[in-house]
Amino acid sequence: MNVRNDDSPHLPARRGAVSGRGERAGELDLTGSRLTEHPSVQVPRDGLSVTLFWNGKPIVARPSDTVASALYAAGVRIFSRSVKYHRPRGLFDNQGLGSETLVTIDHEPNVRADRRRVEEGMWIEAQNAWPSVDFDLMAVNDALLPLLPNGFHYKMFHKPRWARRFFDRLIRRAAGLGTIDTAGHRTETRYEKRYRFPDICIVGAGPAGLAAARAALAHNRRVLLIDDDLQLGGHCAYSPVIVNDCDDRDLCGLSEQMAALRLIDSILGHANLEVLLQTTAVGLYEDNLVVAERGTELFKVRADSVIVATGASDRHLVFADNDRPGVMMARGVERLIGLHGVKPGRRAVVVTCHDRGYETAQMLRGAGTRVAAVVDARVKLPSIQIVSDLHNARVPIYGGETVHSANAHRTLRSVTTGDLAGLQANRTISCDLLVLAVGFKPTLGLLSMAKGPPRWHDERQIFTVDELPRGVYAAGDVNGYGSFARLYREGWEVGIAASRGQASPVSVREGSEMIMVLPADIESRGEKHFICKCMDITRAEAHRSIAEGFDQVETLKRYSNMEMGPCRGKTCYEAVARLAARDTDQGTGRPAAEPGMSSAAHSSPGRPADRTLAEVAAALFQPPCAPISLGVLAGRSRHLAPIRRTAMHDLHVQAGATFFGMGEWQCPHSYGDPQKEVQMVREGLAIIDVSTMGKWEIGGPDALALIESALPGRFGDLAVGVMRHSTICGKDGRLCGDGMISHLTAGRYYISTTTGNHSAMDSLVEWWITDRGLDVHYRNLSSVLASVHVTGQRALEFLQELVDIDLSNQAFSHLSCGQAMIANVPIRLFRTGFTGELGYDIHFPAEYGESLWHYFLERGEPHDLKPFGMEALRILMLEKGHLIPGIDTDGPAAPCAAGVGFPVGDDRAHLVGKAFLGQFEARGLDNNTVPYKLAPGAPIPPDGVVILDSGAIVGRVTCSRMSPTLGHGIGLARVAARLSAPGCHFSIRLPDGRDVEAEVLAGAAYDPDGVRLRA
Amino acid sequence: MSFLLTCPNCGRREVEEFSFRGQYRPRPAHVESFEVRANYVFFETDHEGKRLERWYHSSGCRRWFLVERDNNADPRSFWFSDLDRP
Ligand SMILES: [Zn+2]
Repeated sequence: MNVRNDDSPHLPARRGAVSGRGERAGELDLTGSRLTEHPSVQVPRDGLSVTLFWNGKPIVARPSDTVASALYAAGVRIFSRSVKYHRPRGLFDNQGLGSETLVTIDHEPNVRADRRRVEEGMWIEAQNAWPSVDFDLMAVNDALLPLLPNGFHYKMFHKPRWARRFFDRLIRRAAGLGTIDTAGHRTETRYEKRYRFPDICIVGAGPAGLAAARAALAHNRRVLLIDDDLQLGGHCAYSPVIVNDCDDRDLCGLSEQMAALRLIDSILGHANLEVLLQTTAVGLYEDNLVVAERGTELFKVRADSVIVATGASDRHLVFADNDRPGVMMARGVERLIGLHGVKPGRRAVVVTCHDRGYETAQMLRGAGTRVAAVVDARVKLPSIQIVSDLHNARVPIYGGETVHSANAHRTLRSVTTGDLAGLQANRTISCDLLVLAVGFKPTLGLLSMAKGPPRWHDERQIFTVDELPRGVYAAGDVNGYGSFARLYREGWEVGIAASRGQASPVSVREGSEMIMVLPADIESRGEKHFICKCMDITRAEAHRSIAEGFDQVETLKRYSNMEMGPCRGKTCYEAVARLAARDTDQGTGRPAAEPGMSSAAHSSPGRPADRTLAEVAAALFQPPCAPISLGVLAGRSRHLAPIRRTAMHDLHVQAGATFFGMGEWQCPHSYGDPQKEVQMVREGLAIIDVSTMGKWEIGGPDALALIESALPGRFGDLAVGVMRHSTICGKDGRLCGDGMISHLTAGRYYISTTTGNHSAMDSLVEWWITDRGLDVHYRNLSSVLASVHVTGQRALEFLQELVDIDLSNQAFSHLSCGQAMIANVPIRLFRTGFTGELGYDIHFPAEYGESLWHYFLERGEPHDLKPFGMEALRILMLEKGHLIPGIDTDGPAAPCAAGVGFPVGDDRAHLVGKAFLGQFEARGLDNNTVPYKLAPGAPIPPDGVVILDSGAIVGRVTCSRMSPTLGHGIGLARVAARLSAPGCHFSIRLPDGRDVEAEVLAGAAYDPDGVRLRA
Repeated sequence: MSFLLTCPNCGRREVEEFSFRGQYRPRPAHVESFEVRANYVFFETDHEGKRLERWYHSSGCRRWFLVERDNNADPRSFWFSDLDRP
């Protein structure tokens, strides 16, 4: 395997690129870290044209940079402080897995700097450090490290009680991640949910994912390809390794980077392909629902098949001070070079245990980094070309060794290496970069959610999830490390299987693809040997937790918080399982020997699979498998709660109406001045759009039976052409609405109800019909019919000009209903009076909404007809003492509390809530809804304030308005029954502390005898 | 809970389109005691194992249907059931 450049093959590896400075590599590029070329991979060549600010300091960057690569290139090594001990942390995986790169960008906390593209003027701040990341006072915690053991918040500071409060506050300040932006800099952010229904959803756009997409597209499937990175290609986007024996002959001989580009070109732009980049799949649920997050959007993807090609990431390695800035994962280093053209360091040590690690070493050398040593855990080094190349280049290679400790003063200065048991240190090598290339662990989050906890795969020495449910497939590195040719073939075959709905093909790995040597963890003492960096858990702490009895991975994880940090276990899950296997004697569950003692045995090269590890399942991955903002989860899902507008909505907008939401509906609130609108009605004539009311038609043999079982009243005597008011009760006898029941034609009834909960009403009625098996024709016409209400003493005079039936008081009296025509539009006409004036409800097909509304206003012009809004209607109804169930009553209100008391005969067998209506009467009332008035000139209380009697709270105001008709405040109140008799007084507490006296009215404040309704 | 549920009217749809409206038991006859009828309204047994439930396709066709579901088994174990009328 040779490393070579596409343009100039056979470049001597040593030549390397001079650490080039960009055109504007100004004063801040102190490290001289920018590359413009590399012998084996293509690096970006764009100029340093973007300026961002790191803790206030300007930094120049390439447009192709991530925030992390820009900071790193500018010499920033400490990105953050750790959550518990405030240890300095730097770039580690460089692909957004861990917590090291969490920063605040433009007031947005917890942004992964290695996943965010730079933008001009970005303001980046370090988190969890005070006063700064470089000098953090809280780092004193690091000195206290042994005193803050695992689960310390469960065990310590319990007594005395004051101590717990005190320490809680201290710990709160010291621990945690970013600060929530409470100043509201980002209130314009909107979160949305999006839906996709592809045939095949592929998660991961590496070689396997791309090949699977290619196969599925060739089989005419609609494909959604999701990747959380900024570019397609997965690890091949920056890999210099040469492709051999690939099924696609055109890709052979290219570098993986070039092969991936060619593969991408072959599918990009396909009509059946949608690509979502920077999109993290955070969960996989039943029936192939993939939930993915992109910035402020949450995608819900329901696919016939899901192909999980999430790949793998570098293994974590445990040794002393393994969290120091300067210790990096191999792919993180390769990303710096290949994706961003950044020289990762001056002197590097590569620690490895498999062949691929040597490629990383060569790539580093190509970037101008001196490789001070390669440390290989294998005693017998492989006889492959690249090893001899390194030998010839005088790179020292130490076999049978591993890293014992990183030595750092804030950032890395040197590493000490020695034997695999950690007993004898051999040498200390000075370096500013330590590269961990100790194999790969599959990214199993989604697969684990689909099936269950990962199991140890003896042959491949990795955790895997198999026996996947129907429709879920796995392809690529997630099944174990493989060559490009292997991943391509596996992706292609799985793509075909998924397209045809067949079973997954058997996954194969051979020869050098199997990384048989586990990382040689060093655990001596273990005090600063970090296992879970996100939550700051050391080897020694984990060992103690196991000794305390938390020896099952699942309980250990919960007790110690390992795997619960921002990386969600992606970094540490395998290391946690490794140590759990080591520390527990599976037979007895008792802790094994001290840490360190058994490490040699576990890391011996070529040792057969560890039996203990095979018995330990890794912890189950829980969604989300990456951090996700609460805003994304809480975002609107409009498809389930549509915004409904009436047919005349646009005309109201043109007329300058303001709107308010009433349930799903948007209602016109007023057209300017609600008080004036009230006067218009009282003085003679006005019109309102009441299309939002619920409207149902019930016919058929059992129509009357349905109505009488649903409503407390009796309707057998309701003559054709007459309507009647009724309350509507739930099965518990409580009031849930009211409405008008009209007998339209013989046996055909029409119910109209208050706005708001007619969806709930609808479901109730549907249930009664279903439950009782009634033979009825039931139609919900709520949206089918628009309706207007024309009211005022001149309403009859005006409407008589328009309709073709006699509206005179004798022919069409109060509470009459009928059918007629207006302007050749069939209408249903109802004479009601909820405004307290003569009024007509006119219901007509919604498609005539705008034209009839225009027609009314046009014909009404000589009569001075104007529209009024819902606010004026509310005041008009208040003046009449009408209450709105649900607003002026509350959940436990009995119908008689709304002034609707009546006996229910024993023959009403099927009446809903019958069992309780009698009980309510027998029990009497606790509270009552009553109309009240205030003295002229008294201030108007807001809705919802409390009512006092002798200093005790006895009720609340449900609705309170100024009555322009009466010239004083009126309202409705829910008060204790003893205060509800007409003439009673109570005081209403205003928000400013003053009290207002109110007097209970016997009925309507306006026209109490209803003379105007019948005139 | 985010599986697909089969509406007898519409076919397979997202479960979030549906409302779960509690256990189903036949309504007691009106001659039953107040206590029996009150228990029917206010108490559910919420027992383990198979039970009849009322589901409503609220964001769809608005059809009610009964299912028999085993809450010990896979959440998708739904069996449609005829209404058991009193
Ligand atoms: Zn349906």
